[in-house]
Amino acid sequence: MSSDSPFWLRKLTAINSRLFPRGDANLTRLKRRQALFAAIGRRLPLLRTLLFVAGYLWILAIPTLPGQGTYIDENALLPGQVNTNWNWAEVHAADRYLDHIEKLRDDNATSEQRAKYFAEEFKKLGIPASTQNYTFSTVFGDSSGTNAYATMSAPRSPGVEAMVISASWLSRTGEGAGSLNLRGVSTVLALAGFLRRYSFWAKDLVFVISDDYLEGMQAWLSAYHGISQSNLHTNDLDLSSGVIWTALSIDYPGHSFSHLGMFHEGLNGRLPNQDLLNSFIHISKYSGGVPVILYDYVDHQEYPDQYDLLPSWIPASVRQHPDVKGYLYRFKNVLRHGRYQARGIGSGVHALFHQFRIDAFTIFALPATGPHGFHAIGRIIESTLRTTNNLLERLHASFFFYILTDPDNFLKIGLYLPSAILISVAMMLTGLSLWVEAGWTTSGDKKSTDKKWTRRKRPILHVLAIMISTHLLGVTMFYLVNNKLFFRSRICPVAVMLITAVPPIYAIFIPAASPSDAPLSVVLKALNLCFASTVISITTVLNFSLAASMAILLGIPLSVSPTSSRRARPKTVYYIAYALFGLGWLVLCPEGVRKAVLDWETLGVWFGPFLCIVIAPLVLQAGVVCILV
Amino acid sequence: MLWRCCLVLIGALCTPVLSKHLSNEEFREQVSLQTLQDGRVASTFSFNILLKDATPREPRTLIFDDESQHYNLFPLALGQILREYAVTELHLTLNAGKWNYDSWGYPKERDVGTGAALWAWMADGGPTSIDYRWQGLRNALAGLFCASIGSLDEQRTTSPVLPFAPEGSLPDWGVEHELRHASLASEHVCTENLTPFLKLLPCKSLSGIASLLNPHRLFDADWHGMGLHVLWNPDAGVEVRLAFQLVSDPLRISAGKKQDWSFSTLFDRTIERTCPVAQSSIVDVALPREALYNISPEPPRIDQNVAFYDLTNMSEALDVKLKWALDFTYPLDPLKITSMPISVRRTLQGASQDRGQLSLVIKNNAPFPLQVLYLETMPWIVQFYLHTMRVSSDTSGDDFISNISYVPSVPHSRPATFQAVLTLPTESTVYLTIDVTKAFLRYTEHPPDAQRGWDLPPAIILPLSSSNAIRSEFVGRIYTPPLLVDLATPDFSMPYNVIVFSCSLIAFIFGNIFNLLTRKFVVVRLGSQQGTSKSKHD
Repeated sequence: MSSDSPFWLRKLTAINSRLFPRGDANLTRLKRRQALFAAIGRRLPLLRTLLFVAGYLWILAIPTLPGQGTYIDENALLPGQVNTNWNWAEVHAADRYLDHIEKLRDDNATSEQRAKYFAEEFKKLGIPASTQNYTFSTVFGDSSGTNAYATMSAPRSPGVEAMVISASWLSRTGEGAGSLNLRGVSTVLALAGFLRRYSFWAKDLVFVISDDYLEGMQAWLSAYHGISQSNLHTNDLDLSSGVIWTALSIDYPGHSFSHLGMFHEGLNGRLPNQDLLNSFIHISKYSGGVPVILYDYVDHQEYPDQYDLLPSWIPASVRQHPDVKGYLYRFKNVLRHGRYQARGIGSGVHALFHQFRIDAFTIFALPATGPHGFHAIGRIIESTLRTTNNLLERLHASFFFYILTDPDNFLKIGLYLPSAILISVAMMLTGLSLWVEAGWTTSGDKKSTDKKWTRRKRPILHVLAIMISTHLLGVTMFYLVNNKLFFRSRICPVAVMLITAVPPIYAIFIPAASPSDAPLSVVLKALNLCFASTVISITTVLNFSLAASMAILLGIPLSVSPTSSRRARPKTVYYIAYALFGLGWLVLCPEGVRKAVLDWETLGVWFGPFLCIVIAPLVLQAGVVCILV
Repeated sequence: MLWRCCLVLIGALCTPVLSKHLSNEEFREQVSLQTLQDGRVASTFSFNILLKDATPREPRTLIFDDESQHYNLFPLALGQILREYAVTELHLTLNAGKWNYDSWGYPKERDVGTGAALWAWMADGGPTSIDYRWQGLRNALAGLFCASIGSLDEQRTTSPVLPFAPEGSLPDWGVEHELRHASLASEHVCTENLTPFLKLLPCKSLSGIASLLNPHRLFDADWHGMGLHVLWNPDAGVEVRLAFQLVSDPLRISAGKKQDWSFSTLFDRTIERTCPVAQSSIVDVALPREALYNISPEPPRIDQNVAFYDLTNMSEALDVKLKWALDFTYPLDPLKITSMPISVRRTLQGASQDRGQLSLVIKNNAPFPLQVLYLETMPWIVQFYLHTMRVSSDTSGDDFISNISYVPSVPHSRPATFQAVLTLPTESTVYLTIDVTKAFLRYTEHPPDAQRGWDLPPAIILPLSSSNAIRSEFVGRIYTPPLLVDLATPDFSMPYNVIVFSCSLIAFIFGNIFNLLTRKFVVVRLGSQQGTSKSKHD
């Protein structure tokens, strides 16, 4: 190309030769790939930061994401298409039951006496009923109780499918703190007498009045499905029915209620099919005339005063803005959902059903001075049962992965999943760049372009040994915590925390790598980050809230552990900080530990073991990185 | 006036002809009503048509043309099927609901297994095999009764001779008789099956007892079932029994207070006129034993606490009413009243889609030990692990099970037949568990209907009459409710997701492997840079 050609032509020719170079095509492709990788590599710190920022912002923005309105996907459900027959005579029946039950409460009746009374009442209605005794033996001692249940065979049906209507003796108020679900139990009894008068049931109706808060139902469900649990002692059920498809749990602790709250999170992050919830919301709103809320959070437009949550130094124009309140309302809903799901504890008795592929949720009558009572709740439950009675196959059409931001709007998995994935990708990139860094070293003048790159060995075996040992330590810790003696004195948690001293000691005794090899700390950090990122990505589809919490809590701390000795003078201080971060909950929240252990033992909630065996060791590994520097 | 004279004349001329023809056919009808201890009412209609001195067709004569068939009362459509396939004995039941033995006791019509069940005794030796004729019989009956009996193919056909012994006699033709039995628990029985059933009756549902069979009420009952039984009795002839049984709940209407019933409340009909060709037409009502009641009209005959009404010389419409003086209360322990010797509970346990455990709990309520025959005819989709069978009891002893016979299933073709004799000690419970594996179906084997699971046929418990002291009324097959099994199922309602996911996966795997297999690996020098060499895919 001659030099006197115009500028634009020269530019075009340059672009052309770049896009379609002459010579060996393979060679150019290789070169192009190298250039691309180099470009990414140069901008890696920026890219990483961007991914982190985007991920965290995305998580914060979940309550405001443009979700979509809920809708009913399964055509068979036909919610709210029936005339309800529940009327004041049934309300009266419920009131009579309530009188009896209140008397039982005042007489301090034992579980057995109560269950016997319930079973007898069912039998008086002509429904076969029975009781079930159970005992859970846990590290905190034995706890036993008695469930009452009744199976009403549907007319003309072979009795292979069933629906459950249940109420636990303890209400979910304060997660089963002790207030009684008297009206819920009376509702179930009155419903039993009412529903058996109709011949349109296609599925058996199973009424369960479970003892305690969750334990009773866990014992009943295990016995019903023939699942043996080593620490559960119970007798076989005398009555059986078919495969349970849906279950409603009724929780009505107060005298009257203003809203019906919906609780749907199951154990270990499982959720029921959204069609079930949508049908209930539809029926409650349009057939029953009772507004539905998520959990016990009332709507921000109806009760704006309840969302004056921001600190007072923020200008009132911002604090009082409806959009801000709307955000806070949805934020509270999402946060509550995340808190249940991440800890895997489930938000009510319905939570226990999901493990057996039963779609279930709890109807919570929000205590208030009015205006609704037995009349409204009975009609709504009747209509909801008629809807689930229509099912020809299991609920499958609608969503199983969703976040409800309010009762009428939800986020599909594609809208919220990327937030945690972005953070985990950032962690993965950090890990991979460290991995490359560990494998190569430069020699010669730093400024000169003619750097000499040489490979060096990465001491993988040593690093893997450290990682595996921390996880084994997690297993040991889990067994120590899951022990009678652990909760005897306050010293035990501190003593267990002391085992965090093992990894650094172990790490110090690892024979020093030869100077030509990569430093242990860099390889450890690389593998630690890659592993953590993998765990987070996998967990996102199993239990998004847990994955998001891990991404939020571990993302930055694991990525910023110092790898150059210049910045990490007080090694032990760093280590102790990490150890406190990873295991401080042992000492700081004994109640939480207690609950996690109990949930694991009775209900099989994985959060405790997961925390001890996966999460805490990941943090300890980051601490060991600081020691090894 | 002239017209009337003509009619009388024609009638006078026809009568001897009719009665002559009727003389070798006989039609008797009866309905028995019984109040059950839980306030429900069991009504059993039975219509017997006897073809005197007739014999079933011998299969060896199938090569010849059949003799012409002329019947007056005997249903021709059924007679043609029986002769075409040379069926000696035939039983077909179409039931809906779960018979609650514990509160209702033994049913009058014993075969109450949910869904459709068909079994037939046929002789060998014909030009076509028994299985071929069985297939034809199924399809013909499916057409006759509008039921899916045609799908009772070899994947559901078994031959459990012991519990299904012939009720009539088998002719001695010098050839073996064989049994074919199949059941379809998922068959929904409704009005489309009743209409063809009524068509088989001489008076349809126009007169006589059959006029009570009002579909609006029958299919609102708690339990209903119809049966067709054809058997041969050498002394009498070929006998057809058409039976309809239902359990209605008068308490459902009266909000659980009064158990009063009448024909008009149960069936919304009364018997207006008799069926003229019926030789006998009887309504019998079991009267309550320990209660104040009023029955109207006054029964002409009461025998052993059963009231009988003869309809043959009925003068006005009959509407039997039974009224109680007191409100009804449910018994708290139903078993004490029905005195069923055995309570059975069968469940399929486990929540996973690949394995589970079949559990059978049999309780002997009788004050003497019992022996029962236990039969499972299990489709191949659920396969037994026979070595995991455990039998235990709440009393001491160990030989509760004996005479086990097992025909294993063949995947995709044959069901399993499991038969054993269980010995139940006095007033004790015997537990039998067996681990099962659930099959993984080929995708064409999934039915095109809504995916609710697969129904497994009921198990059958037959108290053996050899047991001492057992009362004759307690001999009869006891059917357990069917089971529903969940097999691993793709979500057929979302085919595009399935296609997208599986195609992406296959493309990804195939693409990679194809690439690796067809590539040539060479060393490429990267010119002036570093001088290092790299392997390169091309």
